[in-house]
Amino acid sequence: MEKWFMCHYDELTKTVEQDCCLTLHFKTLKCKFFSLTETPEDYTIIVDEEGFKELPQSEHISVADATWVALNVVSGGSNTSTSQPIGVTKIAKSVIAPLADHNISVFMLSTYQTDFILVRERDLPMVMHTLSSEFTLFRVVNGETVAAHNLGVTNGFVKPKLVPRPIIHPLSSPSNMFCVTSLDPDTLPSVATLLMDVMFYSGGQKESGASSEDSNHIRFFSFSLIEGYISLVMDEQTTQRFPNNVLFTSASGELWKMVRIGGQPLGFDECGIVAQISEPLATADIPAYYISTFKFDHALVPEENIQSVIGALRTESAAQ
Amino acid sequence: MSGSKPDILWSPHHPDRYVICDSELGLYRIGPVGSAEAKAGTLPLSEETAATLLAINSDTPYMKCVAWYPKHEPECLLAVGQANGRVVLTSLGQSHNSACKELVGKEFVPKHARQCNTLAWNPVDSNLLAAGLDKHRADFSVLIWDISSKLSPETSVAAEKIRLSSVDLDSSTVVTKPLYELGQNDACLSLCWLLRDPKLLLAGMHRNLAIFDLRNTSQKTFVNTKAIQGVTVDPHFHDRVASFFEGQVAIWDLRKFEKPVLTLTEQPKPLTKVAWCPTRTGLLATLTRDSNIIRLYDMQHTPTPIGDETEPTIIERSVQPCESQIGSFAWHPSSQNRMVVVSATNRVMTDFTVFERISLAWSSTTSLMWACGRHLYECVEDSAEGVESMIEKDIATKMRERAQSRYGHDTVQVWRNHLLAGGKDAQLKSLWHDLFYILSVSHMKQCAEDMELKLQGNVQSVVYSGIKNIVKTTSGTTESRRCWIGSDRQTDVLRYHSEERCLALRLCGWISRGTDTDVENFLRSLEQEHEWERAAAVALFNLDIRRAIQILNKGAMAEKGDLNLNVVAMALSGYTDEKSSLWREMCSSLRLQLKNPYLCIMFAFLTSEPGAYDGVLYESSVAVRDRVAFACMFLNDAQLPRYIDRLTLEMKEAGNLEGILLTGLTKDGVDLMESYVDRTGDVQTASFCMLKGSPGEVLKDPRVQCWIENYRNLLDAWRFWHKRAEFDIHRGKLDPSSKPLAQVFVSCNFCGKSISYSCSTIPHQGRGFSQYGVSGSPTKSKVTSCPGCRKPLPRCALCLMNMGTPVSNCQGTGKSDEKVDLTRENKLAQFNNWFTWCHNCRHGGHAGHMLSWFRDHTECPVSACTCKCMQLDTTGNLVPSDSS
Repeated sequence: MEKWFMCHYDELTKTVEQDCCLTLHFKTLKCKFFSLTETPEDYTIIVDEEGFKELPQSEHISVADATWVALNVVSGGSNTSTSQPIGVTKIAKSVIAPLADHNISVFMLSTYQTDFILVRERDLPMVMHTLSSEFTLFRVVNGETVAAHNLGVTNGFVKPKLVPRPIIHPLSSPSNMFCVTSLDPDTLPSVATLLMDVMFYSGGQKESGASSEDSNHIRFFSFSLIEGYISLVMDEQTTQRFPNNVLFTSASGELWKMVRIGGQPLGFDECGIVAQISEPLATADIPAYYISTFKFDHALVPEENIQSVIGALRTESAAQ
Repeated sequence: MSGSKPDILWSPHHPDRYVICDSELGLYRIGPVGSAEAKAGTLPLSEETAATLLAINSDTPYMKCVAWYPKHEPECLLAVGQANGRVVLTSLGQSHNSACKELVGKEFVPKHARQCNTLAWNPVDSNLLAAGLDKHRADFSVLIWDISSKLSPETSVAAEKIRLSSVDLDSSTVVTKPLYELGQNDACLSLCWLLRDPKLLLAGMHRNLAIFDLRNTSQKTFVNTKAIQGVTVDPHFHDRVASFFEGQVAIWDLRKFEKPVLTLTEQPKPLTKVAWCPTRTGLLATLTRDSNIIRLYDMQHTPTPIGDETEPTIIERSVQPCESQIGSFAWHPSSQNRMVVVSATNRVMTDFTVFERISLAWSSTTSLMWACGRHLYECVEDSAEGVESMIEKDIATKMRERAQSRYGHDTVQVWRNHLLAGGKDAQLKSLWHDLFYILSVSHMKQCAEDMELKLQGNVQSVVYSGIKNIVKTTSGTTESRRCWIGSDRQTDVLRYHSEERCLALRLCGWISRGTDTDVENFLRSLEQEHEWERAAAVALFNLDIRRAIQILNKGAMAEKGDLNLNVVAMALSGYTDEKSSLWREMCSSLRLQLKNPYLCIMFAFLTSEPGAYDGVLYESSVAVRDRVAFACMFLNDAQLPRYIDRLTLEMKEAGNLEGILLTGLTKDGVDLMESYVDRTGDVQTASFCMLKGSPGEVLKDPRVQCWIENYRNLLDAWRFWHKRAEFDIHRGKLDPSSKPLAQVFVSCNFCGKSISYSCSTIPHQGRGFSQYGVSGSPTKSKVTSCPGCRKPLPRCALCLMNMGTPVSNCQGTGKSDEKVDLTRENKLAQFNNWFTWCHNCRHGGHAGHMLSWFRDHTECPVSACTCKCMQLDTTGNLVPSDSS
């Protein structure tokens, strides 16, 4: 089982750039999981053990104290593939809510291809116990899928009552629109410089221009490279800088708006945040995309649904 | 496939066209080299064939996979899967006919863009095109498009939402609504339609293989595995599927889909292509990265693996079609075992035919067949006479004839076996005489208590151990100087005597009994057989020159006698022991011109110095027994063992059966027999000979057991079942340990005890089971009840008599055809009384009744039983090829 580390950079440094060069040549590295998310506050990096060894030691890096394990819901494993809602919404009730009920803190990372739920390694027995009632659990060992056995651990707590989950943290919704996209790994070298430019060098300039027009504009960029698959989340305007036909887009050209969660850094211990957001969305059958970072959480929802989402979430928070 | 890695597709319907795709599509036609249309653009593919480039299509960038429309019309329609997941229909080298025009340029666009990994046309419902795509969090990865779908309504709906991509889309040719969407939130790496049902699609998904059924898309069969790349169905065996992961190929049986039925040996480099040969069953070709060989796996002999434990045998071969590294290959759709290979770089193509393995089979008689590809050849010699003589010389033919003439079965006059073998083979004659003398000597020792020979130890084992061992123990040798018989002249020839030497002479057959050196009996028998020269030589060696001359005269006068013998006799009569006489001088030189070896050694004996008889001892055309007998008479204790050892070694190396005289039936004898069998293949003689070795040690030798088993198998293969039974009986008599223990018993229905067993425990009740097969004598007691519990034995289903009752002759069924021939009937009569059961339904009765019942019926005679007993007996319909 692979373990992942989470760390963030306080500021843009030379080292980050070197890192990124390394990761863009990922095929020569053993790193199979790499994710970099830029927010106005910091850069969040998620890497696996092999990748963590490649990271330089720097006082600018703070590393989350625990190692994390990624869970991935594979619909292929189940016998029926009925028409289900998609993304985080799909697993909100079956995975996220039970984990929240058992006080397990999760870290979400949605990609173009799938959704990863990161949990602390030490919580793993508990997670397996929680999920075994609803899922067939598999452990991936050296690429081969084997059935994982329930470790027979109970947390000793009585199953918590299903209380309504009010939204605790303040929400904000930036004005800019985002694209969730991907690109052919073969074309990665040709856009590598552009990607680095977008990630590290152009943000400041743009912000200076954009923030004057719209203070509500947020700088946000996410890049992940997981088992050879690339996933990108970027501002709609940024997509214009890429050549035609490089980015994978949906036929409908859907755009997403962001709901940002948290006024103060959220930390890693509080549980139920994802559940608070995703459950109302699931109820409303709205697809969602969720990226946690070192300090805050970000949910993306289709542009046309933003008003109803905000409405729904406000109701939830008002309900407390 | 993008960029450097090319692939090849054969046209499904034009056997001379194929497409190479790398960054663009190139259509080639293959034809004989130097044909009329050979132009500058022709590329040689092999010594006979060349390719011409017909058309190039570079309309579709970012190609990831290509599939050729499977039907005749429209021809040359290709589906191209692109890096962004779109599937485009395109064509090559076509004049714009209407059927194609409608379709070419049509695009199928998935909701969310990601790489298209694989394409597969439905072979039956050819409107359906399945595309396998990478994973997307909110989309399906297997999309089945209907290429004939009407374009408009969806596009108008979609158009309002198209923002990013609308620029480059000509909405009139774009289809965005697939017919089926399968595999949500999963990646699809390979696809193929199953040939057993065109509604079934096999997909290599992320970490599992799944079979989707289009009739019920919510159901799927799947198995978790790593081997998910390159799924492909065996075109000759629709339940067999190959897939691979990195360097390992897994073969699946769809009827038993839980795990691969076998995995092929892992290659160090990752595989890039795996393909079943369409023109030959069970041949799988695999290619790994950066390799210049194609590995072939022949699963010819294992179409249906039965059970879990059967690990089928696979013949693995490698072929090297060209020097350079191979980019891809494709089997020709109809030309046998042919493929075109394209190099990894430069698009160098090679036309290559995999040479078929040749399999060869001898029949149990003499014919030879071999198979190559689809041809079966029978080996026939050119001239008919040649064949006859060749076949006659063949050891298999000889053994077969000998088996029929009961070779080896004469246990009384053992030497007669060589006559049964045809009487032509000198070695066999010598062998069987050796064995005859050995057996008669040991027999005499056992029966008659005339212990003239006071040998230490077991006489029998000494006799069996051969002259080599006998002369080793020689002691108390006396020497004598004797006169020529009928003359006063003293010879200067020393003759040696001892008990061992005497025994050796007896084993050589020169003397029959006693210490007496009288060879008169032997001479007479030789005269009878018209072996004049040999008889004369033996007489001479016994210093009876007069008798020798007499024999030669007799020989000259006999019918068809050689008059030259008189001349020899005259020469002999002039013998003088003067050392420097003219006679001696002339004889010693002229003797070499004599053709008969015995005449030659006679003069050699007379002209050589005493004690130096090399002219006699090393005359290889003289029978070993005569040379050994001579040696026993005239070599001293030092010379004799040395000579015998040397001769033994020579015999062993040559595999000469005459040497059995020296080695006896010992380990040495087995060594000798081994080289004989190596030379001739005559396991028959080896088996019979070694069975005579009663000490038993030789029988335990694995080589001997191997010969015996092979001979039994040979008899089986010839269907000489009676001969085999005879051989087994013969073997059982000589080697009691070979008798198999009874493994099947008839047990009583009531008490469960074996009725034959309980019978044998009660001694007075007779001889085991034979009592139940009543021999027909009315006075014999018949046991019709279990000896254990006295309950009645089962009844015959036809005559309703209990087991143990003989067959009455007035049975109606089959009576009419029982007047065939009387001897045969007599033999069968015994068997008719036996009881037999069907192992399936457990009904049965007298063997005779059952046989005649099943002559006219197929079902069991018991009413309401529908068991087809006779058909279950697979050997029941075979007929032995030897007469009983």
